[in-house]
This record gives sequence, structure tokens and C-alpha cells, in this order.
Amino acid sequence: MLGTRTNTDLVEAAARGDQEGWDEIVQRYLPLVFSVIRRYRLSPKDAEDVSQTVWLRLVEHLDTIREPRALPMWIATTTRNEALRLVSAHRRTTPVDPLGTSTLDAVADTRDVDEQLLGAERQQAMRDGLAELPPRQRELLLLLVADPPLSYETIGARLGMPVGSIGPTRARCLARLRNTPAMQAFLANGHDTDRRWTA
Amino acid sequence: MTSAQWDDDDALEADLRAAMNALPVPEHVVAAAKAAYTWRTIDEELAFAALVYDSAMDSALTGSALVRGAGPRTLLFEGERLSVEIEVTEAGMVGQLIPPGPGGITVLTAAGTYAEAQADEVGCFLLSRPDHGAVRLTCRSGGNTLSTPWLPL
Repeated sequence: MLGTRTNTDLVEAAARGDQEGWDEIVQRYLPLVFSVIRRYRLSPKDAEDVSQTVWLRLVEHLDTIREPRALPMWIATTTRNEALRLVSAHRRTTPVDPLGTSTLDAVADTRDVDEQLLGAERQQAMRDGLAELPPRQRELLLLLVADPPLSYETIGARLGMPVGSIGPTRARCLARLRNTPAMQAFLANGHDTDRRWTA
Repeated sequence: MTSAQWDDDDALEADLRAAMNALPVPEHVVAAAKAAYTWRTIDEELAFAALVYDSAMDSALTGSALVRGAGPRTLLFEGERLSVEIEVTEAGMVGQLIPPGPGGITVLTAAGTYAEAQADEVGCFLLSRPDHGAVRLTCRSGGNTLSTPWLPL
């Protein structure tokens, strides 16, 4: 089940040789890696290379992460450093626009790591919460937030649900999502979550 | 950025939409990240060398357009008993072991061994490189070993 093991559990499991623990770390934090990478306007290939570097590095660092709750910060910081490295390395071998500012933008991004972490944690809490819902409620919410958007008629047809009951059911599903353990755990940490990893 | 307020149904739904649609990570990237774990049990006996200099980061820190494009990228990895300096070009990697001496060097990618080379009497070697991707070097010389951190080229 997604979201039921803490980072401490997962890091310890992965350090013991448990591939499933590792896989769950990947599932949980790959969106964070890509949310950081996205700021550097890398090509898809470079983005994949940075991601791969972060995970290969983490494999070696499992034993040295003394405070497993610091895992997201380690991942975000390593991703930022390696993305910046690749931006710079590739700029050396390609024509440079002397007025270009993206390298400076990237340096300025360092102070945004906390903010990115918080956003990623929020989104992870929602995905974990969604995973904790009964399948039919989860299915309705997934259809409601589909991209591109679906009409109530289409959603009703897919679920075999009268169009008139989608609105009230939506409200019940959202209320239930709000009360899932994953969402409640995130909210219980309050708005100081962005400080948690740096204290 | 997501809103701080989840009491409102529409705000909650909007945040959920962002969470589910913002970052579609390709399946092969997920698979590659999971497969990185196979390196967990490999090469445990090698001494770890730290990256102490990367000319790419030098130009990033100064932000100077003058430094960019001023020759090949230079990297220095320093271990306790063995270090290695390499120059990376489009064509490959030229390097030298420190202290100078004969030895063996291997280029690894996530998939495994990519290339191998012998260093000559003064520790110099020439290696081919992959077009892109994370690589690491392992070196053996005079009874000492060295493994660099993974680095994207």
C-alpha cells in the first residue's frame, strides 16, 4: 500500500537489500526529481541522465543517510546540483548567447529547493491519499481531474452513474480524500513542513 | 504552486488535478531508476574518490561567458591513495592517474562496463565515452583502487 511506510522504514529496508523498499522510494520521489529538473529546461535526454545519476548516487548513499527523514532534501539537492552541472557542461561545447541568463536563473533557483520540496510533498500526500480510497471513489476522482477534461456525460457513461449524482458523489469522495491518513498526516505537520528537512 | 487551503472542494480538486497531471514520468525512466538498485552490491571493495574539481561548475559559479567553450571539460577525482584527472571531449576522455604509474581504468555506465584502457608508465590513458548518460570510472594502480561518483556527461 502506498504511503504507509515512513522514509525511515524505506531507507532501512533498501539498505538491507529489499528491492521493494527501493522501488517505493523511487515511486515516491521520482516526481520530486522531475519537478526540480523541470526548472533547468534540460532536453528530455539530459533530464533522464540527471535522474539516473541521482538514483545511482542514492544507491551508494543509503548507508550514510543518518536521518532518513532528510531523504527528500538529499534528493532535491543532488538533483539540482547535477542538473546545474549538465546545463553548464553542455553550454561549454555549444554556442552561447552572451545575453542568455538561464545559468544565472539556475543558480538563483537554489533558494527554491524548500518550496519545491513542500510542493512535492503536498502532491505526494494527495497521490497517497488517492491510493487509500476505495477503487470506485478513486476512479471517479481520476476521471474528474483527467487531462484533457471529460464532460459529466462521459464520466457518467464510463462509471454507469447518472449525471445528476456525479456532483454529490464528487463532494463525498473529496471529503473522504481529505480525511485519508496520508492527507491528515500531511496536514498535521502544519505549514512548517518546509522547515522540517532543514532543521 | 498549490493552494494552502483544502477546505474548499474546488481548490482540493484543482490541487489533485495538478498532482496527477503535472509530471508524467516516462515508464522507461521509472524502470531505469528502479534498476539502479542492482548496483547496490557491486564493487564494494573500491576506495571512493571525491570529485574535487569540475571546470563546468567553475564557469557556472562565475557565470562568465568568457570561460565557456574555453577548451575541454576537466575533472579531478581525489582519493586517499589514488587520484585521477580527466579531460572530456566529444571524442572521448584523456586522463592521468596520480601518482603517475601504470594501471587499469574502466568506464562504467548504468548498463555495465562500457570501455577499458591501460594507463602507461606515467599514468596516462585514453578512453572512449558514451554520447550521454551517467558514467563512473574505476581505476587500479600500484595496489590501490579508486571509484569515482556517478556523473552525467
